[in-house]
Amino acid sequence: MNKTKKIFKAREMTSFLFLMGLFIIVGILNPSFMSVNNVAACFNTSVVYTLVAVGMAFTIFVGEIDVSVGSNLGFVATVVGSLLRDGANWGFAFTVGIIIGVIIGLINGWGVAIMKVPSLIFTLGTNGILRGMMYIYTGGAWVENLPKSFKDFSAVTLIGKFTVYYCCAVILVVLIHMALTRTRRGRYFWAVGDNAGGAELVGIPVVRTKVMAYVICGILSAAAGIIFCSRIGFVTSASGNGYEMKAVAACVLGGISLTGGVGTVIGAAIGAVIMASISYLLVFMGFSSNYDNAITGIILITIVVFDALMQRRAAVKNRRARLVARTAAGTAKEAGE
Amino acid sequence: MKNLTKKRPAFNWTAFLVLLLILEFVIFGGTNAKFLKPALLMTSANDFLPICIISIFVTFVMITGGIDIQVASIIGLTSIIIGVAWQDFGLNIWAAVLVAILVAAAGGALSGFFVAYCGVQAMVVTLGGSFLYSGLALLVSTLSSTESYQGISGFPASFRWITKYKVFGVVPFQICIFLVLLVIAYLLLHKTKYGRKVFLVGVNQSAAEYSGINSRRIIMSTYILSAVSAAIAGVILTSYLGTAKSDLGSGLTMNIITAVVLGGTLSTGGKGSAIGTALAAIIIGLLRFGMPLCFKVNTQYLDIPIGVLLVVVVVGRSLAGNPNVIAKFAKMKERFKGGSAKSGSAEA
Repeated sequence: MNKTKKIFKAREMTSFLFLMGLFIIVGILNPSFMSVNNVAACFNTSVVYTLVAVGMAFTIFVGEIDVSVGSNLGFVATVVGSLLRDGANWGFAFTVGIIIGVIIGLINGWGVAIMKVPSLIFTLGTNGILRGMMYIYTGGAWVENLPKSFKDFSAVTLIGKFTVYYCCAVILVVLIHMALTRTRRGRYFWAVGDNAGGAELVGIPVVRTKVMAYVICGILSAAAGIIFCSRIGFVTSASGNGYEMKAVAACVLGGISLTGGVGTVIGAAIGAVIMASISYLLVFMGFSSNYDNAITGIILITIVVFDALMQRRAAVKNRRARLVARTAAGTAKEAGE
Repeated sequence: MKNLTKKRPAFNWTAFLVLLLILEFVIFGGTNAKFLKPALLMTSANDFLPICIISIFVTFVMITGGIDIQVASIIGLTSIIIGVAWQDFGLNIWAAVLVAILVAAAGGALSGFFVAYCGVQAMVVTLGGSFLYSGLALLVSTLSSTESYQGISGFPASFRWITKYKVFGVVPFQICIFLVLLVIAYLLLHKTKYGRKVFLVGVNQSAAEYSGINSRRIIMSTYILSAVSAAIAGVILTSYLGTAKSDLGSGLTMNIITAVVLGGTLSTGGKGSAIGTALAAIIIGLLRFGMPLCFKVNTQYLDIPIGVLLVVVVVGRSLAGNPNVIAKFAKMKERFKGGSAKSGSAEA
């Protein structure tokens, strides 16, 4: 157990070191980057990605995936934004947003865990439905003229240069991480993702755990939608498009394996910062934003290929060790006889 | 025995898709007679032809148990390479097309190599590929003297001919291309050794490996095929629109995957058919065409019916096969019990 814990740690440490390396390289190439403002901005802009990626991480832990997070985020942003624009109070609007997230999570969980539909396909379907509902709700118009206090709240800082949103997100991620690693129910998520059949046999409620993962993913995406609304200040009918892919990428960068059962939410959060900073860092390195996607793709592919090769090497090494041990035991037994 | 149980639902599924297609014709045709005009139907096909062409080859990838979400970005990459090579590097237009298709094939080969030989999950690699190739497309577009948002236009008539020419004066030439590709895909998948290998790799890769199949090469080849099909779609789309743009086809990923899944391909691999995918792609395409025409549905709402169709179909299918699922689960449990008992005794 201790050993696997160490591996988890190593996996997210790699991502963290990668992020630090990225900052240092950019800092060397362009010393003007190395200011508190710039580094903090990298973290602050990542808040929406962080929440979505952590939500996505839950569904990946249990061995599934949720590609409806992007339109979930967009739909919640639309609803909350229009409620606030029409003068609803914050508490009411946020509650409605979170409830929508829960409902979306329940629907996804029902389809995937209870109806046993492959998760990619089912959430692809809900993705389309939600995106369409967004158009119906707004009639294709932008949600604008949000209350100034709501928009300004996104710039309020709590600790140093870090915004309230980012601080809340970090606290949330740490709490979730504690809950996942320190409680029995938290560990269920990894158990289910690692071996659903085995988990079922030892009495873990597999279906309930999977539904739970989707509900948490829905809630976090909804929260991301609310923050998106506050940070950007307007919502178009294409808002949130492509966030699902960025969230998966963030999880992978954070050392989470898409086969399920491996990784931590802290890794996902670090991956989200990497994803969010790339375009910001490129500007400081003198590249145009045109390089954004190409570099993201190269980094993503390099990391996963490197990771896969390392894992294979480890697997081969383990097998060899096992074989050696077995033959050693065999000869010992023979000698004993 | 195993063959019988496997064959029947597949046949039913194709029949169901045909039924769905007929239903679409009846409903849309009944509401608005315009829908049944051949000329209009043929023109509407232009809008969803790329989905049809690509999805039949993505079926190959999904049968091997992989997934390819980079194809949509390859459409844009081909388009912009054709434009830039022709306009700014002065290449002959057909040479430019060839270069674009070769680049796409290389892109597919690269992703396929990582999936097959490095053992990285297909979804992650092609996700990275979708970023990479759309990014490359953007970079290629900056090489051009034309602003990227305008797109490169003014292609020679011979290139526009691909989509202007009508066989017998009715059927657009690109539909013929699609039909030829469909026949090729059908023969390749269901009538050749290669196709059998693709299926076997999807059912059980180690079994395929033990029976002397170079499973890695097969997997890699499916990614090349899907990338080349995306390139062909890119050529057709560029010719049809008359402009080369780097973001062409960027929203098609979900439609393509929907078509493949609706066509009866298992996302876990080992099962699927080219005809089923083609039918499903046409169903989706006609839905996109018929809804606005007959029910005045705004084109922006079209994600809903397609999403509903997908969800209803997959849930219905899972419900229909429920006893099967239960039986399978029971078997799995049994096997697991047997497995654990065995390992227990081994330890003892």
